[in-house]
Amino acid sequence: MAAADNTSAALRRRDLCSRGIRLAGKMRSDVVDLLDTYVERQGLDASASVAAVEGVPVAAVERWDEQTGTQRLLENLAAYRAFRALLAQMLEEQQEQLGEADTTLGQALAAVLLQVSAFTYHLEELLRLESRGPPSEEGPEPPPAPHLSLFERKLRGLGVLRELAQWAVRSTRDLRQLAKPNPGSSSAASLAESP
Amino acid sequence: QNLKCVTHNLRKMICTWDVSSKGRHGQTDVCYTTNDLPPPVCFKTKEKRVEIPVPESSSTMTITTNSNSGTAFVTKEFEIHKKDISFVPLTPRILSLTPDFSTSTLNLKWSDNGSVFLYGLDAFWQIQILRKEAMEKVTQVTYYSKLTHEDVIHSWNWTSDMPLECTSHYVKIRCYINVTQFVGPKDWSDWSPIEEIPGKDTEPNGSGVFPQDTVVAVGSDVTICCVHEKGQQIKRMTYGPEIYPMIRLSSRSSAIRVLNASASDASGTNVVCRLSEDDMDGTVLFVGYAPDTPQNLSCETSNFLKIKCTWKPGRPSGLYGKRRTKYSLFERISGKNVSCEVNEMNRERVCGFPVLADQKTYDFVLGVSNPIGQTESLLLVDLTQRVHPKAPEKLTVSGNSSTSVRLHWFINGSFAEIRLLCQIEVSCGHSERRLHNISMSGGEFSTYTAQLNALHAYTKYQFRVRCSAADHFWRWSDWSRIEEHTTLEA
Repeated sequence: MAAADNTSAALRRRDLCSRGIRLAGKMRSDVVDLLDTYVERQGLDASASVAAVEGVPVAAVERWDEQTGTQRLLENLAAYRAFRALLAQMLEEQQEQLGEADTTLGQALAAVLLQVSAFTYHLEELLRLESRGPPSEEGPEPPPAPHLSLFERKLRGLGVLRELAQWAVRSTRDLRQLAKPNPGSSSAASLAESP
Repeated sequence: QNLKCVTHNLRKMICTWDVSSKGRHGQTDVCYTTNDLPPPVCFKTKEKRVEIPVPESSSTMTITTNSNSGTAFVTKEFEIHKKDISFVPLTPRILSLTPDFSTSTLNLKWSDNGSVFLYGLDAFWQIQILRKEAMEKVTQVTYYSKLTHEDVIHSWNWTSDMPLECTSHYVKIRCYINVTQFVGPKDWSDWSPIEEIPGKDTEPNGSGVFPQDTVVAVGSDVTICCVHEKGQQIKRMTYGPEIYPMIRLSSRSSAIRVLNASASDASGTNVVCRLSEDDMDGTVLFVGYAPDTPQNLSCETSNFLKIKCTWKPGRPSGLYGKRRTKYSLFERISGKNVSCEVNEMNRERVCGFPVLADQKTYDFVLGVSNPIGQTESLLLVDLTQRVHPKAPEKLTVSGNSSTSVRLHWFINGSFAEIRLLCQIEVSCGHSERRLHNISMSGGEFSTYTAQLNALHAYTKYQFRVRCSAADHFWRWSDWSRIEEHTTLEA
């Protein structure tokens, strides 16, 4: 009976992974589109380099290959929870600064926020499969955001979206890794399609 | 030699002199008589200056310089005439110099020392503003005041054409008192000690682009500066997509000057200070218009519960979000004020105001403001003359004879204070439509009834109704929905 349970859990996991990969792919293309709109509407220089923004999870990771499946999920979940908060703050600031003047940007931001929320839920589902469940969100209140000037907020928003686009790529790779029968081996066939 | 006498207060004068440098001198004996009235006043002094009264006409002063051993060395007598005495006001003292960074304004306060003089005098104050590391003169202004025998504290404001954070600003002041009856030479006082408002470029870690996130009117000339840390260098400063020539303010501050600024996008125009390939700072400038005076302000009520005011906003301000143009409706008789929730993107503006008990006349002030300016429109209105009912509802038609029908309809509103005029339109097939006007007393959220006669038997008719105020027509309501009815057979 235990074998049957394992098989259905693996199937369920693979299904979640492949749906997650598609969601990450869609999210990435929407974030890239949003980035173009954001740069244009905020009057920024697309080539502007933005220093690392405090509070924005960095997609680059060392020894990516050595990560366990749980580590991948936990890091992804922490990142997208952070992005959910960051995007919600950006949306609020956008409403405060522009009101109804730029609904295009507002709607695009809201759409990506929705996808990030959905992807966060997806990751929590995957963690529940690991019978350990996702870490609770309660925890120490995040430190109040430092007062930033409008220009700094514009740059911060650019940094957030760029990093989110990178995370979408990383998440796709992580989920592909998870979709393998035993995440450690690289030879196993991969069920996932490319984003 | 060179005896000079100066008075600061027209009552006392300070006389100074030189002594030939040969030999060493001891004390000096000074004697003076005023207006030739003996006896002379004498005293000893070690200094080469004395303070004595200003004479009515003239004074005679004898100065004897003694050698160290006390023997008279040289004696000289001077005749001091009123015309020889100079009048130089006391050096003014700045009481306070206060910056308002949000408006780039300096407030200067000083005392005019008017109590020094016995009578009112015309005083002119020269105020000099200097700036930058090199303390270049920016402007010099002459301010006039009347001395009134009391010490009056004067306050004067100056708005800089650049943010005060950009570089240090300095102020000094001097004065000239026009004593017409004083015959001697009159001159400006010395400059006061200089007062400084340090710029961010003097703070150890001071940096930033200024002004920060400010709003200016279209057509303004704006100075925007970049203050950076020691050792850094500005590669370029851009306003929107354009690189601008830089003006050096100090070793840690440079500025650009944007002339005749044009309207910015909704998210503002970015001003970027590029310090290196991956280090930049910036600010956002919002360039828009002051609000236009609202046109066609009109207020009406549809139900005597709420007043709806509408207006045409005029030219868009180009400012959005928290910088948008805000509207408020103030009613002067009741003193009630309502702020209006307005969607800046749609052309028509609407604001609601509650109908107040026992108040028929409303004296409205529609206040309009945004960070650049404000304006208002006024409207005095008698509400009973501005009734625009909602479309009648629940129209029903019933008939108990072949040539007449009874109509019933409901109007949402409290019209007990007025008479209503309703119009019933009757049409039959494609024939010509007939209108019947009926006036009736208004009611409280009532159903109204009317009878129509002289109809044809066994004929299908379409009925609809609209209403307005009977005594002071303002606007018809919209038509009710059409109700069909066939009269009974004859």
